[in-house]
Amino acid sequence: MPVEQAADKTVRVPADAELHRRLVYGDESALNEAYAAYGGLVRAVAVRVTSSPAAAEDVAQEVFAQLWSRPYAFDARRGSLRTWLSMIAHRRAVDWVRSEARHRKDARADDSALHAIPDAAPRPDEAVVDRERSLLLHSALAELPRTQREVVHLAYFAGRTYRQAAVELGIPEGTAKTRLRSALRKLAESLADPSDPAPARGA
Amino acid sequence: MATDHDGVRELLAAWAVGALLPGDEKAVPLHLAECESCAAEAERLRETVRLLGGPASGPRLNGAGGAAGGVLAAALRARPRVARVAPHAAPYAAAVAGLQALVREMEGRWATPVVHDWNAHATVAHLLAADEPLALRLGLDARVPASPVPGDTPWEDAWNARTADVIAHELTRAPEDTVAAWAAQAAELLATPEALDSVRAAHATTLMGLRLPVADHFLVRAFETWIHTDDLGRALGLPVPPPPEEHLGLLVRLAVRVLQLALSSAPPVLLAMAGAEPDAQWVLGSEDEPVQAELVLDPVDFCLLLGGRYEPDAVPRGATGDEGAVQRVLQTAAAMSWL
Repeated sequence: MPVEQAADKTVRVPADAELHRRLVYGDESALNEAYAAYGGLVRAVAVRVTSSPAAAEDVAQEVFAQLWSRPYAFDARRGSLRTWLSMIAHRRAVDWVRSEARHRKDARADDSALHAIPDAAPRPDEAVVDRERSLLLHSALAELPRTQREVVHLAYFAGRTYRQAAVELGIPEGTAKTRLRSALRKLAESLADPSDPAPARGA
Repeated sequence: MATDHDGVRELLAAWAVGALLPGDEKAVPLHLAECESCAAEAERLRETVRLLGGPASGPRLNGAGGAAGGVLAAALRARPRVARVAPHAAPYAAAVAGLQALVREMEGRWATPVVHDWNAHATVAHLLAADEPLALRLGLDARVPASPVPGDTPWEDAWNARTADVIAHELTRAPEDTVAAWAAQAAELLATPEALDSVRAAHATTLMGLRLPVADHFLVRAFETWIHTDDLGRALGLPVPPPPEEHLGLLVRLAVRVLQLALSSAPPVLLAMAGAEPDAQWVLGSEDEPVQAELVLDPVDFCLLLGGRYEPDAVPRGATGDEGAVQRVLQTAAAMSWL
């Protein structure tokens, strides 16, 4: 396994390292290349989390502004640029949804203070529940250990097969499958209501 | 039909996110049809993934670029643009941009020891002092009160006194002020006619004991800025990439010229840069004798050696021929204590 890992890294790292080198020294064409390669992924991640193309545009702007102004925040020894950009896009998108939710809550609180009609709140419809569960899930994803997050980002957001993800991460296929499974199970558990201990069948 | 329970169970997460290999895709539904526990797990994971994708049918933007112009234009504003200068000053402009990028990671870490007895703050202060002789020569004003040094002081003593004064002065200020002073002086240097026009930079002048065209003094500034940025990066655990290839080539050629001056009567050695184009080789030493040895160095290592960042015995090298001649080159390079 260490041999496989080393062999793969020599294949993957040079391209990222060379792009990083140019970013560090302020070569604007390097930013264009990074955007051409990963702009679609960054937007796709942000849209999955926010469901808002306009928010995704803002997230993409922040992500690439960070890559440009703080190139040393990316460390090619710790992973690929693809997973790093995907992960910071995800975190920023989660922050965006959280602050949206806070604003909505504040607005509702103001509203109910003004009208003060007890028990008049409408039953939250399915879409609202889904939105809340989605935020819960994405918050949990953002808190997963980095090794598990990387696999989720490659296999889910970046549309890689588990084999491609394993190659990109320099890990055996079995490890990629195991990490993906542990990650999804943890996410599924984060959805389970602790006051309603539904039997985890077959777990 | 008995399907492979353990194998499929391993695959369920990949199945749920759509990351299976084409060959796996048939096995999963076949097994789910006959295994209740896997079907339940599959359902649970699939629902999790459905919620990850956002409620309802959120747009799937894979590959959809959107307005690249807007995002990129906004991102570019997050960092000052690298000065557009003549080719001889471009390595310095890039090195300045590189240090500015690293400085953004230094908040709260200014006391980190770097080299000599300098911490990170003193290292930037040193660069403020080291850029000053060229700035003064090109008619700019000093940014730190002048040091009282008698006019007949040897340049090394005058320089040592000056850098000590500048560092002492800067350490009484906030690190951000030192960075701002260094960056402002660098920006002024890069806006001089000598930085913008190679013809204006062709005349030779003596700075820090080296008589070189002004264009080469700009290269010396790039060299020193990069080496100290590399020092800072090592101290902070953030590896600093070498300058862009074409800049590195210019720095190597400058370093070779400076080294040639010091080795003019030494036994000749062929010096070549590893991995560089075939013309990146030079004979160092006397022109009247046959070459006695060949020495191959990585261009970054060669620069670090000349910058005093390698012991002569520690630098990775390929060498053939007379070991004494090779040692003479390595010792001389390391002893230049150029920075």
